Amino acid sequence: MNTKEYISSGIIESYVLGLADPAEREEFERTCVSYPEIREARETFEISLEQYAMLNQVQPSRNLKSRIFAAIDMEKDQENIGSVQSLVAQMPSKNKTGVVAMSGWQRYFAAAAVILLLISTGLNFYFFDKYKSFNNLYDQLLASQTELASHNQVLQTKLLDYEKAVGYMKDPNMVIIRMPANPKGPDANSLTTVYWDTVTRNVYLSVNVLPPPSENQQYQLWALVDGKPVDAGVFDIKEGPGLVKMKNIPRAQAFAITLEKKGGSVTPTMEKLYVLGKV
Amino acid sequence: MGNTNTYTEHQLVSLLKSRDDKAFGYLYDNYSGSLYTIISQIVTDLELANDVLQEVFINIWRKIESYDPGKGRLFTWMLNIARNASIDTLRSKSYQNSQKNQMMPEHEDWNAGGRIEGLNIDHIGFRKILERLKKEHRVLIEIAYFKGYTHEEISEIENIPLGTVKTRIRNALMQLREYLK
Repeated sequence: MNTKEYISSGIIESYVLGLADPAEREEFERTCVSYPEIREARETFEISLEQYAMLNQVQPSRNLKSRIFAAIDMEKDQENIGSVQSLVAQMPSKNKTGVVAMSGWQRYFAAAAVILLLISTGLNFYFFDKYKSFNNLYDQLLASQTELASHNQVLQTKLLDYEKAVGYMKDPNMVIIRMPANPKGPDANSLTTVYWDTVTRNVYLSVNVLPPPSENQQYQLWALVDGKPVDAGVFDIKEGPGLVKMKNIPRAQAFAITLEKKGGSVTPTMEKLYVLGKV
Repeated sequence: MGNTNTYTEHQLVSLLKSRDDKAFGYLYDNYSGSLYTIISQIVTDLELANDVLQEVFINIWRKIESYDPGKGRLFTWMLNIARNASIDTLRSKSYQNSQKNQMMPEHEDWNAGGRIEGLNIDHIGFRKILERLKKEHRVLIEIAYFKGYTHEEISEIENIPLGTVKTRIRNALMQLREYLK
């Protein structure tokens, strides 16, 4: 036999992949026994196939393993029941040998035991099925619960922000300074509000409307003290009503906001003055 | 992977034959992914593919006694169980009915491959190397391997002589072997 030709005929691949017909399979299996080199070529192909399959995987769903093992445990139980059943079936034959006849109650007992086993197997199937569907339900509930919890956390943070903001606004010592858009500024819709504590001199800023800055820019608040701009800090536009605490300003006649490079500037860029409000 | 120890194929097989739970867990951890991949390329419904994989592992557990290492490696044996189970599912009445409302064009779709819920399975597993074959070869492997048609059925459907079907499939397989190397 020309083994080289046989090896390169494609029979190895069709055998391994299950595409060969029964006659071809039988012939190939016989040939493998007599020609070790063909067997070796088969193994080489099998190994490359296996390696390829190992490198290209999609994973099944995560709870499948426990499902399968539960099903296998049930199989095991059934095997045990099978052996008990055959044991019971053997009992009457012992009778005939005349050793000891199984008395009436023993027979009833054996029959009852078998019936109980069968019922319990049936219940196993039933409960396993229930277990499976409850397990699915539980997974779904867990997922939605996690989602709700994270949603809740977001709401809590928002609520705290609101409470804090309302607290400042209600404070009788707070001076509220409306800062409308600079008529000659870049954005006519801009509006911000400064809350200035007349006792502690702390400054809180609320952004009503400001266009979002580009990535390398930041807004900067200035206090005008005797005609000179004093830096009151840079800020980012946050979502929600939260008040941003700025620098403490002991004395000022007005507040203004300009758009500056990230980190702020020493002096304001007057062309980028968005809003302005007098105390 | 849940198991830290590894076995040689010989050890693994003899442990499996003695119904060792740990060895079976190892088998699952190591091979479930690659078997699931082949199943999902035949049965393109993802949920169903999980059910088929379950059936396959239970069959492996039931039939391991009859596995003969002389006839091929363990993976080859399992791969064939997985393919056969998938094709049985594909041909089952309930599956055919469930697919009826979706798409079942006769011819054109055979070489279009399959999709599972937005994941394009043309690009994983064996289908990835199938793409590199000539079209006439690819179509034959697709219907023979992934749809499970016999050579006789293919000869009838494609209207090619039986001998030609066999030769073409074997040529295609030889090509595949080269790509696998």
